[in-house]
Amino acid sequence: MNDLVDTIMNIEVFLFIGVLVWLYFKPVNKDNDSSD
Amino acid sequence: MAVDADNKSPATGNAAISTPPRSGFSSPLLIVALAITSAIAIWGLVDTAGLAEQAAFLVQIQFTNRAWFIMLAVSFILIVCIWLALSRYGSIRLGRDDDLPEFSTVSWLAMLFAAGMGVGLLFWGTAEPLTHFDLFRQYSTPGQAAGQALFVTNFHWGLHAWAIYALTGLVIAYFGFRRGCPSLIGAPVLDTFGHNRVTATVSWLSNLLAIVAIAIGVGGSIAMGVFQVKDGLDTLFGLSESGAALTTAVFVVLCLSYFPALVVDLSSGMARLSNAAMAVAGTLMIFVLIAGHTHYIMGGLVQALGEYFGNVLVHGFRTLTFMDQPIGDWFQSWTLTYMVWWIAWAPFVGVFIARISRGRTIREFIVGVILGPTLFSMLWFGIFGGAGFSHVLGGETGIMEVVRGNVSAVTFYLLERFPLSLVTISLVIIAAFLFIVTSVVSAAFVLGMFSSNGDLNPSVKIKLSWGVILGALGAVMILSGDIAAIKSIIALGSLPFVFVVLLLVVCLLKTLKTEIRTEA
Repeated sequence: MNDLVDTIMNIEVFLFIGVLVWLYFKPVNKDNDSSD
Repeated sequence: MAVDADNKSPATGNAAISTPPRSGFSSPLLIVALAITSAIAIWGLVDTAGLAEQAAFLVQIQFTNRAWFIMLAVSFILIVCIWLALSRYGSIRLGRDDDLPEFSTVSWLAMLFAAGMGVGLLFWGTAEPLTHFDLFRQYSTPGQAAGQALFVTNFHWGLHAWAIYALTGLVIAYFGFRRGCPSLIGAPVLDTFGHNRVTATVSWLSNLLAIVAIAIGVGGSIAMGVFQVKDGLDTLFGLSESGAALTTAVFVVLCLSYFPALVVDLSSGMARLSNAAMAVAGTLMIFVLIAGHTHYIMGGLVQALGEYFGNVLVHGFRTLTFMDQPIGDWFQSWTLTYMVWWIAWAPFVGVFIARISRGRTIREFIVGVILGPTLFSMLWFGIFGGAGFSHVLGGETGIMEVVRGNVSAVTFYLLERFPLSLVTISLVIIAAFLFIVTSVVSAAFVLGMFSSNGDLNPSVKIKLSWGVILGALGAVMILSGDIAAIKSIIALGSLPFVFVVLLLVVCLLKTLKTEIRTEA
């Protein structure tokens, strides 16, 4: 159980770091604002 | 610290983020934030032990599995700050290019000190180094343990803590003064990535997490302050069995003191009270230096300065993974807890330091915010910790018994060993009380602002609602009865905000890169 929690929590962190890196390099097109 | 409510117009507005402001009680953010914090407060009031136990359990899971991430994140934040100050981005001004700083450098630095000089320093000045010493001396000689204890105390209150504040404040100041965004934690997300469903949700969640983190963090400070004032009164009047009655009385007086300030606009008065508390604390520090073994304290202080600046960056990456259980537990309940505590306070302190820093360059901002208060904290702990060590290493064991039994009484025990103790103990009580009142009033203002779409003049009703919630959260922490439980509850409330701070760093770096490219 502990190992599973460890795995899930750290995979979340790895994914988050990955998203941050992707966001930093991703070109932004602010004209593409969609309405909500 | 105190935040005033003067309104500043945007500088070079990219006002893409103009969600129609819905302030008052119609704001969904306010309703959800009040619901969450009220639920925590009610749970704590009904079943204090249950909340404390659950918080400790969840925090331990987080700390065990993500210690590496928290330490990496805070070290990354510090390194980003240093890099920004040294890079070409350092000359970008927080405001229009022709804006000049609103305050002189000296008064700006004084206000930064005031922001950092919360009740925590009064509380932990002697208690923290001696608590660490109690553990470390089992692993080394007393002399080495004292040096180590002072080093880690400085680490907890030093560059990493202020880098977290600085970067959050920098994001608020840059996006607010230079890009014309509202003073909301989530606003940079919309400004950087545009307005769509995903960014709007992330921005909204960031605001919510900031509010929860601030409310719980300030609740913890209320409890710490109340414990300290109560123990001070115990010492002053020789009370040994005052117990819950005096704690309740102090808490009631505190609530009676801050509620009127939420109704009437006392922002400038609050700033003066905060400065007065800081002046009192500064006077106490000089008194302890002069009245104590000055050469001993100065010796320890100089050594601590060298050891700190020589090792601070490396220490930031230490996770103590290979150490035994007592050290691992200590690391979780001190170093990791402190780091998330600073993160809990970051949106609150960040707003304050951003508001006083308009017109400064990024370089000036970072150097001032990070170095100034860090040096002041090191002086504080060097003097109060050094005075404590001069007793302990001189063979007096009484103070260690107080450290083990009741940390909030340590400062008073120390001051009793100095001349004029009646005056100095009274001053600590007054300063602690002033710090809590000004913190609660400022927090209610910032929470009101965040929960009413960045409205710089939140309504009295909203501020009062937050005043009640903060008081209730403070009561919960007081009922929990011990500092360890308070730390767990704060850590639980602030841990999710770690992710928000890192997202804000990406927003800042990306927008700065674009600004420089556009100018080129």
